[in-house]
Amino acid sequence: MTGLNRALVVIALAGLLVAAASTALVAASDHVPQRGATIAIGLLIGLSFIGTGLYAWWRRPASRFGAMMTGVGFLNLIGSATAANDPVVFTAGVLLCNLFFVLFAHMVLAYPDGRLEQRWQAWLIAGGYVLAIVGPLPQLLWGFTERMCDGCPESPLFIADNEGVRNAANAAVSLIGVAFVAVILWVLLRRRRAATPPQRRAMAPVLWSGVTILILLAAALGSDAFGIARVTDVLGWLGLIAFASVPYVFLIGLVRTRFARAGAVSELLQRLGEAPGTGDLRCRLSDALGDNSLQLAFWLEDKGKWVDSEGHMVQLPAEGDPARAWTAVELEGRRVGAIVHDVTLTEEPELLRSVAAAAGLAMENERLKAQLHARVEELRASRDRIVEAGTAERRRLERNLHDGAQQRLVALSLTMRLAQANIRKDPAKADAMLTAANEELTLALGELRELARGIHPAVLSDRGLGAALEALAGRAPIAVALDTVPEDRLPEPIEAAAYFVVAEALTNVVKYAHATQATVAVQRQNGHAIVEVADDGIGGADPDRGSGLRGLADRVSALDGRMRLDSPAGAGTRLRAEIPV
Amino acid sequence: MNVGHRVLIVDDHPSFRATARVLLEAEGFDVVGEAADGASALTEAGRLQPEVVLLDVQLPDIDGFDVAARLTGNADGPVVILVSSRDSSDFGPLVMRSGARGFVPKAELSGDRLTELL
Repeated sequence: MTGLNRALVVIALAGLLVAAASTALVAASDHVPQRGATIAIGLLIGLSFIGTGLYAWWRRPASRFGAMMTGVGFLNLIGSATAANDPVVFTAGVLLCNLFFVLFAHMVLAYPDGRLEQRWQAWLIAGGYVLAIVGPLPQLLWGFTERMCDGCPESPLFIADNEGVRNAANAAVSLIGVAFVAVILWVLLRRRRAATPPQRRAMAPVLWSGVTILILLAAALGSDAFGIARVTDVLGWLGLIAFASVPYVFLIGLVRTRFARAGAVSELLQRLGEAPGTGDLRCRLSDALGDNSLQLAFWLEDKGKWVDSEGHMVQLPAEGDPARAWTAVELEGRRVGAIVHDVTLTEEPELLRSVAAAAGLAMENERLKAQLHARVEELRASRDRIVEAGTAERRRLERNLHDGAQQRLVALSLTMRLAQANIRKDPAKADAMLTAANEELTLALGELRELARGIHPAVLSDRGLGAALEALAGRAPIAVALDTVPEDRLPEPIEAAAYFVVAEALTNVVKYAHATQATVAVQRQNGHAIVEVADDGIGGADPDRGSGLRGLADRVSALDGRMRLDSPAGAGTRLRAEIPV
Repeated sequence: MNVGHRVLIVDDHPSFRATARVLLEAEGFDVVGEAADGASALTEAGRLQPEVVLLDVQLPDIDGFDVAARLTGNADGPVVILVSSRDSSDFGPLVMRSGARGFVPKAELSGDRLTELL
């Protein structure tokens, strides 16, 4: 038996003892009218609350609700100390006999986890406890009315009969009580308005019985304040009956949802068994769990991310999210997805577990579809980026041509015209102009050459990757060692991709890495061309920086290849591309 | 006949500004200033009060057409001649709409072409 179970058994036994003591007190009382009925109602209320409370406590140990319900039962039984003939016990009983109402209000307000939402509510409830104890004081000090307590023992606190003061104090206490109950009702109804449908369903039994009792209590207190005794009595009895029914309403609610859901789960199992992987899995799970807001997320192991059925990335609710929670779905020990649901369902872990277990295979089918969607989405995005990169590249070429060679040729044309105009009248000036024109022409040719090489290096097409990489290494402003290059020619698109991977990597090394040297290697391994560029620089390169690397990754992935950047801070950078040949 | 025409040259390429200055001065124009972008073109035009602004279409900040529209907005504004290394057909009706007096491809720039337009 676990520690909790043992404690619950001890509490149950204590409950029986208190019940026996309360019965004995009432039976021996010389001032309680209708002792048999009083004992019966007292036991019914006290033991029902204790029993149901212990059950709820056992089912949901993390929630304080069960403990509070048990507490209401105990306080209710302790209240029968008012039946005692001994003046001291009687006085204590009178002071404590209203506490169970406040604990009940506290319990309803703190439903379902037993914790109050806001600090002011804790203050309100604390005030309620004080009011419950202080409330009967006027009667103890200045005497009971006959209706209230005919033949009660005289309290040690009794000063003298003073009907005026007592009635005024009583009315004040009752009015404060009405206000207290009104605030609690207001909080409950406001909370219901804000709740999701599953939350409303979960809170319904406790909420509505609580609201009924609190309204009856407020009416009883109100009529008491105005001295309408008959109404107070009737309302008091009605309230008692409603109160006695609370544990049963709660139990029925619990059993009904469990029954309904157990039925829904077996139906789910049957339907999934009949036609696995077809139909709308989300709807079926949402039926089984009674949560229309339910959503499914699928786990993509290779990407390390969650996606929805369309393959779009989704974020699961964080731990401690007040509204949403998720339950992992596994198949043969492997995570396939998650059910994202209303947080109230976490109170039924067995239900979630059985639904998650039933959904495993169907979830895996849906996951494969989602994976396909995600892949298509990725390809679409990468295709868009390639098109965009092509446009950007054309823009860059136009700009470079316009700003570079074209400007030089314009200047050259004007200079030639000036030289021509001067050739007869000032040959020396014309000569100087032609020299300047020649320099301009050399620069224009250089720029055109650089530009043409950037579009596609001729040596790559003519002489292959080895020669192109040698030329690239030779032009780099740092030492570049060319390690290995396959002797045979690779298919042209692969050679081009490999060349531009190396070119972009070396550009980045020169720009950012603060490196003194770099190594380039291209190998053919297991049907792949492996391109590696490593440097001895500062590392810490960000793969998302700039569009250069991203564009290369797209180019490589268009050939079904993969690119990886390994750049720990302070330990150099290694870029590796694997392209299937 | 070109004497006295005060010219401001606006272009972001220093090599073109230098060559155009030599060429125009050799043909009797008075080059009173140079500007490398649209904003300084507007400032310099206000300060130097040139009669002619030789204005490149593609400037790093404000488009040459917008600069032309602003310069020719006033009745006593300068005459604006647009220049570009591109052909005027690249720009369609933009040249006419900008308020510029005309367009000269950069490679064909000469004192005579300017005078024709003035």
